[in-house]
Amino acid sequence: MAIITLNYEYLERLCRTDRETILAAIPMIGSDIERLEEDHADVEFFPDRTDLYSVEGVARAMRGFLGIETGLPDYPVGESGITFSIDPGLVGIRPCLGSAVIRGLSFDEASIESLMALQEALHWAIGRGRSKVAIGVHDLSTVTPPFRYIASPRDRRFVPLDETREMTMEEMLTDHPKGRMFAGLVADFDRFPLIVDAEDAVLSFPPIINGELTRITEETTDILLDVTGTDERAVEKTVSIICTALAEAGGRIESVTIDGVCCPSLAPVERTIDADACARLLGIPVTRDSIIPLLEKMRFGAEPLKGSSVRVTVPCYRADIMHDWDIFEDVAIAWGFNHFSGDLPPTFTIGKADPAMELARIVSEVAIGLGYTEVMPFTLTNERVSYEYMQRPVSDRALRVLHPISLENTMLRTDLLPALLEILSANKHRELPQRIFAVGDVNDHTLTYQKVAGAATHPGADFSEVYATIDALLRECARETSIAPSEDPAFLPGRQGAICIGSEVVGSFGELHPDVILAFDLEHPVIGFELDLRSFL
Amino acid sequence: MELTVNEKRLLLILQKHTSADAEVLADELAADPGSVVQWAHLAAGRDLVRIMRDVRERYHLTEEGELYAQEGLPERQVIESIDGEIPMGELSRHPLAKVAIGWMRKYGWIRIEGGIAKKAASIPETDDERALRAIASGEDETPGIGDLKSRGLVAISEEVRWNISITPKGDEIVRKGLDLRPEIGTLTREQILSGSWRDESLRRYSLATPPRRIYPGKIHPYRRILDEVRTLLLEMGFSEFSGDIVQSAFWNFDALFQPQDHPAREMQDTFYLDVTSPLPDGWEKIRDMHEHGGATSSTGWGGRWNPEKARASVLRTHSTALSIQYLAAHPEPPVKAFSLSRVYRRESIDPTHLAEFEQLEGIVMDNDVTFNNLLGFLKEFYHRMGFSDVRFRPAYFPYTEPSVEPEVWVDGLGWVELGGAGIFREEVTAPFGITQPVLAWGLGISRVAMLRLGLSDLRQLYKSDIDWVRSTPSYRRS
Repeated sequence: MAIITLNYEYLERLCRTDRETILAAIPMIGSDIERLEEDHADVEFFPDRTDLYSVEGVARAMRGFLGIETGLPDYPVGESGITFSIDPGLVGIRPCLGSAVIRGLSFDEASIESLMALQEALHWAIGRGRSKVAIGVHDLSTVTPPFRYIASPRDRRFVPLDETREMTMEEMLTDHPKGRMFAGLVADFDRFPLIVDAEDAVLSFPPIINGELTRITEETTDILLDVTGTDERAVEKTVSIICTALAEAGGRIESVTIDGVCCPSLAPVERTIDADACARLLGIPVTRDSIIPLLEKMRFGAEPLKGSSVRVTVPCYRADIMHDWDIFEDVAIAWGFNHFSGDLPPTFTIGKADPAMELARIVSEVAIGLGYTEVMPFTLTNERVSYEYMQRPVSDRALRVLHPISLENTMLRTDLLPALLEILSANKHRELPQRIFAVGDVNDHTLTYQKVAGAATHPGADFSEVYATIDALLRECARETSIAPSEDPAFLPGRQGAICIGSEVVGSFGELHPDVILAFDLEHPVIGFELDLRSFL
Repeated sequence: MELTVNEKRLLLILQKHTSADAEVLADELAADPGSVVQWAHLAAGRDLVRIMRDVRERYHLTEEGELYAQEGLPERQVIESIDGEIPMGELSRHPLAKVAIGWMRKYGWIRIEGGIAKKAASIPETDDERALRAIASGEDETPGIGDLKSRGLVAISEEVRWNISITPKGDEIVRKGLDLRPEIGTLTREQILSGSWRDESLRRYSLATPPRRIYPGKIHPYRRILDEVRTLLLEMGFSEFSGDIVQSAFWNFDALFQPQDHPAREMQDTFYLDVTSPLPDGWEKIRDMHEHGGATSSTGWGGRWNPEKARASVLRTHSTALSIQYLAAHPEPPVKAFSLSRVYRRESIDPTHLAEFEQLEGIVMDNDVTFNNLLGFLKEFYHRMGFSDVRFRPAYFPYTEPSVEPEVWVDGLGWVELGGAGIFREEVTAPFGITQPVLAWGLGISRVAMLRLGLSDLRQLYKSDIDWVRSTPSYRRS
């Protein structure tokens, strides 16, 4: 979750309106206000709107939404004359690079924090924990262009951020906190990614750590941005989001030439949409002309074309516009989710219950008639309860989860009865008699199907009672069944039976073995039954 | 007025005595006095008798007092052992000397001169001796009792006496005649068939005595809410579907256009199994959609789509995994369907998070259904669930666009986010040949149950404390 801290004063200055107006409207562009504090608000934005991960980005969107400044924002890009080269040895390691120079910034403690927070949020949302994208910002005055992005030997030494001594890059992976956190991303490579200047001074060891040399301070005015990664598009979007946020903060963007290609472009992307299609999807009366102010409110550029077509220019910082419907959603947001009339869908259909669920309801009704109360245990269980306590062999049809959260939840249940005995155990000190049942999913390997099971405990519980109970249940289900002798170790010998349809065993019942009763920490006699419901469908 | 047999017997005896102690009555009724008092209270409630409670203080001898009552008080025993005079040294060797000397001097029975105790000429009976004699013989008020008490020879106990007397109303009832036949509790078949019950005195039971508590077999309170939702959707024309708990990552994630590097797919959020699932026919369309948006206006996620990742098996993390398969099997409009299924998240279990819980999932697919219809449907649905105020907020889900989070007003809590909804992205529907919009919504129904049942711990829904199930009413007027 990306939670962005919005300082009220800065936000008000950027939005050119008061905080009450802004805070009232902020949830309506798609966010969740987590906390309102004295001087700031903590607001969660969704992972698709990475352009809202900075105060500047939020202010840009809010100015549009509130009608203070609408349409496509313009971000001119000057030329820095600085060049960058990429070492071909980085192919297969971390081949993509984006960069820019931003000049004329003024930093204080708070704005440095804010820039770091934007980087962290982008590392999470686009960078996938720095694997896809990693960001470095550097004080440009501390280094000398041109810059080189190289695949370096692992024993190259430099002073990493927050350290005073030189370390080898290998050492950083074990001895530096950031190194330990992200070591897994590079550990397997023979050479490590490294950014150096004309004098071979180190700027950054992406995606692990920057050099101490280029640390941003309150004296910094000009910065060099590097974004490295494994995905060209993600790198490009990240550069755009950071550059435009810093431009909103008052910086001037200048391009860098990377192996002859000018970066960043910050040019909008054009898409042609059909206003009628938008009206049809949303169910609101927008037209080619009336859609334009709605689009501009969301900071798109828009101009009418022929028929119902509209040319939409999508600002470079929007990473979420993949499809026309992504633009239609913004039209709906501009329209206001709470201004929709909310007409019911006209679709006429006749509802139909799932036969398995219907059977479950009927079986439940019979069980209730027999004095049993329904319980709804978990489907995740463990071998101890399912087999060991029941004195039954471990089923080879049981599916175990790979990384269980606890020893209690290691497998999907294959039977219901053990779960019922667990519930009786938890209710040991409640008034007797207790008669409980459950209808629910069990798994035979990957196949899910339904069973019913019941269990009862009280001083007089015996085989006659359970035989009579299962007999009544089977009579209500009107299917030819027979009872055969069985040797289920969970039940007492000679006080149990198997329920069969033809030669297939579909259920069991009996008096629970005293050792099973004790294993579940129970004391009075316990009876139980269990039935596969598939054969009754 | 229906009297118990015991009340009647009491009244009969009382009429003879007019007024008597409970003990006397108990003797005559061959009962213990406690029962007599109980019956008298019943009758007093009907104004047939009057009860007087008399509390009297009674003196009785302590163990030491008993001893002295027989052998004489220490001062008497010692004085009688003296003949004329005795040296103090010798006198103090008497076992009772310590107690006796003080009293003997106080009474003037001895005079001590030059270490010699001289006995007085006459030794009259003291008040203490008279009182001791009186109490020992069972008399009550006695002067001098105060000293005996402080000497620890007498103690006081309270004696409660119940005096019961018949009232004029009681007297009148007895005069009219009382039926003393034994009362019948449970009727027998013979009594009913023969009509002999008419000649019997049938016990009338007191409604003041609470009945024995019995518990009906019943539906679980949570199931009742699930059933209510299910009925509601069936009424609204939806068809029900269900499916396997174990799903391929293909159906759970890829078919829903969840990128393969999405954090929700990682091991720490999703339960994976050591089983691989086959990919369905036509899986290449999903690959194309992820890589470049297939034949739609979408750009796709870019990068390479890995079929091996899609073959992994998971415990379904949402019932949307079932919805998309239902749509793939029913691609012709109209479709209105729902499922109420358990879903699984790899969460640490605490009062508000469980590794498994129920999710309600619904879809509407038809020509020309709109986002406006979706909002209308959500409003209707939540109204029927008992939430009268509903509002909407933009949201994000990887497989819907536009996406919306409905919020409902709950008194005491404010606006509560309750589920998510949206229109399935074209990237989701196009590979299955679905060209109409699909309105979809999901709801963690256990949260609704928590609100409705007033629970603070989700685990209570599944742990089934039998007392809680027994004490939760099956029906509560809304």
